[in-house]
Amino acid sequence: MDWASDSLKKLEATREERLLQEPPTLSDADADKLLQEFHPDYLGMERNVRVGPNADTCKFPHELADLLESDSHLPQNFEPSVDIETDVLILGGGGAGASAALALEESGLTVHLATKLRLGDSNTVMAEGGIQASLGVDDSSRRHFADAYVGGHGKNDSDLLRVLCENSADTIRWLGKLGCTLDCNEDGTFRLRSGGGTSVPRVLACKDYTGLEIMRVLKDAVLLSNTQTLQEHAAVELLDDGAGQVTGAVLWDRNKGNLVTVSARAVILATGGSGQLRLQGFPTSNHLGATGDGLVLAYRQGCKLLHGESYQYHPSGTAYPEALVGQLVTESIRSTGAQVVNAEGERFIGEMTFRDVLAAAIIREVAEKRGAQTPTHRAGVWLDTPLIDIINGEGTLRRQFPGIVHRFERYQIDPAKQPILIYPTLHYQNGGIQVDRDGCTEAKGLWAAGEVTGGLHGTNRLMGNSLLDITVFGRRAALSAQNDLPPRRPVTLTCLKKSREQFKNISDRREVLSPQLFPTQAGMKVAFELQKAEEPSATGFNSSGPSTYEPPDPFSK
Amino acid sequence: MKTVDIKVAGKPVQAREGETVIHALWAAGMAESVKTGCVGGVCGACTITVRFPDGRPGRTDLACLCTAEEGMEVFPCPVDPVPSVAPQASPNAGKLRTAYPTLDRCTKCGSCTSACPMSIPVMDSVLRMQSDQLSVVAEDFTTCIHCGLCRFVCEDRVQPHNMGMWVRRSIGASLGPLKEAVVAVEPEQVEREWKYLLEGNPTERINHARQFRNSGGIEE
Repeated sequence: MDWASDSLKKLEATREERLLQEPPTLSDADADKLLQEFHPDYLGMERNVRVGPNADTCKFPHELADLLESDSHLPQNFEPSVDIETDVLILGGGGAGASAALALEESGLTVHLATKLRLGDSNTVMAEGGIQASLGVDDSSRRHFADAYVGGHGKNDSDLLRVLCENSADTIRWLGKLGCTLDCNEDGTFRLRSGGGTSVPRVLACKDYTGLEIMRVLKDAVLLSNTQTLQEHAAVELLDDGAGQVTGAVLWDRNKGNLVTVSARAVILATGGSGQLRLQGFPTSNHLGATGDGLVLAYRQGCKLLHGESYQYHPSGTAYPEALVGQLVTESIRSTGAQVVNAEGERFIGEMTFRDVLAAAIIREVAEKRGAQTPTHRAGVWLDTPLIDIINGEGTLRRQFPGIVHRFERYQIDPAKQPILIYPTLHYQNGGIQVDRDGCTEAKGLWAAGEVTGGLHGTNRLMGNSLLDITVFGRRAALSAQNDLPPRRPVTLTCLKKSREQFKNISDRREVLSPQLFPTQAGMKVAFELQKAEEPSATGFNSSGPSTYEPPDPFSK
Repeated sequence: MKTVDIKVAGKPVQAREGETVIHALWAAGMAESVKTGCVGGVCGACTITVRFPDGRPGRTDLACLCTAEEGMEVFPCPVDPVPSVAPQASPNAGKLRTAYPTLDRCTKCGSCTSACPMSIPVMDSVLRMQSDQLSVVAEDFTTCIHCGLCRFVCEDRVQPHNMGMWVRRSIGASLGPLKEAVVAVEPEQVEREWKYLLEGNPTERINHARQFRNSGGIEE
């Protein structure tokens, strides 16, 4: 990083002094002012939506508003005719969907899980830092609640948040029984780290691969369960009975190129977030499929969205090298000692404050020219990672954060020796579909869980509360669907037809189709044939699904 | 910005220097040619093989981590999943052998280790499985993304990553409940605390929450 040598010299020169320094503090009023002036949510890049349950009542980012006012991919003449009949249809193959499927394992119900990509390709698998559970000394579900409530600016749905906090220990035990391994201290207790805005250490982790650990175990368990998985089947529309009950979904089989109509007695939406909408041109830490599909689908069914204007920009997104731009550098690296420092070598904020405040502070430093400029025309501030080994002993960073080391090593950057350049990255959809404590939406027959829902986190989520969210509420939604399973009803496109009538009244609508399914940047096509494919179409390199061929096993008798 | 010419599945693609193969494919309108999931190096979907023009040995990689270099040839290399075997309590090498009978077929060629994009010492770990050092194996596979490349390149049909998962889940599930430091609190106090946090107008509630964060209790 020769381009930054001047700035890095300044950073090294102040390091010793900074080690002994108390972090700069910020009053609540100053934090509010910082947010108002610099946080992307507060810049007015939003507008009213003119159709649907939130029409003219609250604002959405332009990118999302366009999608909520857009027409479906389904042709006007498409009429659903049932291909698959199931009891519960789960849409989404991340942590919430997989948790829901596992919760139904003993139910005796037929369960289908459809996912646009492969099972496990999700934001869950990318989560690094950890999962919160009030298992420490001086901690309680109430303290957990208080932290998340203050962090969420008091906009949280208290009922949902209480459920989350009261179920954390039970959820960690559930994950343990499935075979998840979380880091422990030598005395056999879980190792707890601090997160931004936690008042006591409360974050459990598996190195900096916590989401990977949880997702690969959930995925393995789902594949060993009775759940029928429909991988690379993207949901393009929900079906309803014409009388307010959701009765299934139309899926697009990406490999065969045809549409599949599923009739279900309950639909659980677990489609995740929308970072790939790249609001205001921000890079994102999200996976390929995070395009807010579930928001659009539920909205057409008359479900209100809460805090649709609120997004989380993770303070430590990578800003250099170019190939890693937007990718996450876990917050735990800050709780373990890495300081956030501007190009002049100065700390400008306490690293462990709330995410939105820290992100705003970084944006301010760069806006006021105290950031470091990269040769690729980006800018950021330094995350002084070498401090970790200086404070905790040589080898700590490599041991506790192998993911960060592995990722940067490729670019000849050793985070134990050199700082990392960071800039906020679009990370999490704080808002979403309004649900109750059992994941019920306003539409009968439709449940929702995980990032697609809103209310739980208010307008700013704390680290470690989303992995807890998906495992607590994914299971709750499933159990609620099981207990209140409605009778099977006909499949129609009544809600879509109503939406289409409303769209007609808007003249300046953008001609895009929704759900968007893939990032605009990826240029991927959504194309299907209305004829049912009888044979799998010719498959190239991109073919999917397990091949049926298995060579004989020489050890079997 | 400087550009480089690469080939993906035989088709020429122009990439900006320093960008990943995935992003080059997006810009070229060829996103569908490599299966993609997280675009962050942890889902294992975008497996490829790479050849270099300058005689360096080719290798396997993930397209979302692999940066484009002049003259590089990229071949999509999707790995089909195979069914896994359910974990068992108190795992040992014998039980692993029953679950995955090809364990002992390893000829120590080392292909799996060189194929692993996460730098896991796969072959050494397979040998550790054979000799019942399962807790080390569990540690070895901590960073496994289940891309399947180790299994894909194995001519002896050993399934290292599936076995790694079996070992990790089996050990994890056998640990039993871990010690928890939570101090038992009287139910009346718990209810009092919830009431304190949940009642009142919005300003009172957030002030109560702010105050509760200081000590973890109600300050009189």
